[in-house]
Amino acid sequence: MGQLTELISQIITYTAIYALTSIGIVIGGRTGIFNISGEGIMLTAASAGFISAYTTGSWFIGFLVGAIVGGLFGLILIALHETLEINQFILGITLVILGTGISDLLYKIIIGVQLFAPEAPPVPQISIPLLSQIPIIGTLFNQNVIVYFTYLITAAAYYFFYHTRLGLETRAIGEDPQSADVVGINVKKRRYIATIVGGMLMGMAGTYLPMIITGTYTTNIANGRGFMAIGIAIFASWRPERAFLGAFIFATIEILAFQQQLSGSDFPYQFLLMIPFISVLIIMWLFRKKVEFPASLGQAYSRE
Amino acid sequence: MVDNTKKIQNDTQMTRFWQSAKPYLLAVIISFSVSGILIGILGYNVPRAFQALLLKSFSSQRGFIQTLQKFIPLTLATYAFAIPFRIKFFNIGGWGQMLFGGSMVAIVGIALASFNLPAIIMIPILLLVAMAAGAFLSLIAGALKTYYNINPIISTIMLNFVAYYFVNFVATTNPWKASLGHPMTLKIPESGRLPELLPGLHMGILIVLLIIFIIHFMTNKMVLGYEINATGINQHAAKVYGINMERTLMLTFLMGGAMAGLGGGIEVMGVHHRLIEGFALTSGAQYGIFGILTALICKGNPLGVPVSALFISALLVGADAMQRTAQVPVEIVFVTQALVVLLIVVFRSTGNK
Repeated sequence: MGQLTELISQIITYTAIYALTSIGIVIGGRTGIFNISGEGIMLTAASAGFISAYTTGSWFIGFLVGAIVGGLFGLILIALHETLEINQFILGITLVILGTGISDLLYKIIIGVQLFAPEAPPVPQISIPLLSQIPIIGTLFNQNVIVYFTYLITAAAYYFFYHTRLGLETRAIGEDPQSADVVGINVKKRRYIATIVGGMLMGMAGTYLPMIITGTYTTNIANGRGFMAIGIAIFASWRPERAFLGAFIFATIEILAFQQQLSGSDFPYQFLLMIPFISVLIIMWLFRKKVEFPASLGQAYSRE
Repeated sequence: MVDNTKKIQNDTQMTRFWQSAKPYLLAVIISFSVSGILIGILGYNVPRAFQALLLKSFSSQRGFIQTLQKFIPLTLATYAFAIPFRIKFFNIGGWGQMLFGGSMVAIVGIALASFNLPAIIMIPILLLVAMAAGAFLSLIAGALKTYYNINPIISTIMLNFVAYYFVNFVATTNPWKASLGHPMTLKIPESGRLPELLPGLHMGILIVLLIIFIIHFMTNKMVLGYEINATGINQHAAKVYGINMERTLMLTFLMGGAMAGLGGGIEVMGVHHRLIEGFALTSGAQYGIFGILTALICKGNPLGVPVSALFISALLVGADAMQRTAQVPVEIVFVTQALVVLLIVVFRSTGNK
């Protein structure tokens, strides 16, 4: 029992990474902007966020800086796309490479090589009275602050997109920007906001890695998770609440593969680690008729 | 009169040249100024850093050989992106295709060890295996697009990671793994290794030169090259004129993947002679991702690929030299390169407006 609780607790801790990143992608995607630069954002935000948290001693400033970095990446992407109509995917992949370079560069310049790996300041753990006492499921309510923030964001994004007029309008942009424009929705403004907010969430997920998962910054700390989140967004049919579910599944696989590796059994753990990536392909293939896509995803829109 | 027309012609040629060269020059000048300022602010010796960065590759024989070493995998990785990009499809999977090519060469090479085949048979077999492996991976993406309309950007990214874990699987698992030390496979037999032409430079360079020649020939002289160009310029028109879109798509992915696979295979056959666990991130295969940038610099133009790959290889070698002589972190150069590409893309699209 204790072991199972421990396992679920760990999975939930990892779920936050995938959920924040993929919901970030979903939010931009709903307005038609497909931001594939999550990996680059996560790396840069991991580095910048960790450095700020370490030097100030404040976990909060760390995540704040991470979010700002992510927002900046989003801003660069959307500004270049909207003003010059540069292909979103070209921008995305260039930002990934830019982010990979910047993250290590920042760390080398500011922190450099240290005898002992610098440690991130602790992020507060909160256990919610009563709820956290429930056996097994209680572990959902005995987590770090950012996990609660992730719950909140998931619920808020779901509520926004499916229960508010503003959300409905925003979804309309992703389906048909021209009609949305005709009805008087400010397509450009919404796209800017959505991409920046999406980038901020991805940035927080990046900062989460050194702050919670590893405790310090290391090269290539995102390790493909930014790309996996793209798969989750697709798996989720671009719905935030399903993205959370997808994040939970991917996190489960990652934890199980990790345990398999530790257990020293003969089954190659590498195949477990392949599962999320292969499953994205299989899901896209199996549900190709059912997977919803915002119809204008990835396409530029200009009034002319 | 005649002189005048000629002069005007010359002038328009000059402006045209200037127009097409402008984005590149501006991008390079701005990015290098930014990195120069950055290097200066950080307190490094700017002239010394730039001297190492720009001159190292061509000022010494060793630097030049190092440049060619990087040029081999980088050129092939660049083709992997550039060829499908001709018809406006994105193969982000060059990295994975290189890894898979390298892994399969190791597997087949070790499997054939006991047959004692001569090099003249062994080397072509392994090169073909490498190409087939890379093409296999990219064709999955091509087929998913052709038959199920699944975006190749997504599928190739996913396949990258499948290949990434496959490398680690091969390097750590029997019957391939070496018994001791860092996770890696046994060596491939002597007859499967690419001989050295000069100390530090293996035969892969000749293979790459041959590939460059073939691709030039194909682009300019063959129907396929024409079809790819036509499809890239206007899909609908190409369709009307009877060019089979699906076939062209599959062919470009096949060729792109084969080039990447070859790049990975050559790394194993020429440099390491085995598959090492860090292959994906430390060997020439790491340029699988860089190839995208390099291809974007030349807009995916096959004729521009070698030039742009040489430029980036020289910078990579310069970056290492800069870190050694002026202690400037190499990442500054990575950032500069990404900036160069970003600015080229920006200036190109502002130029078009």
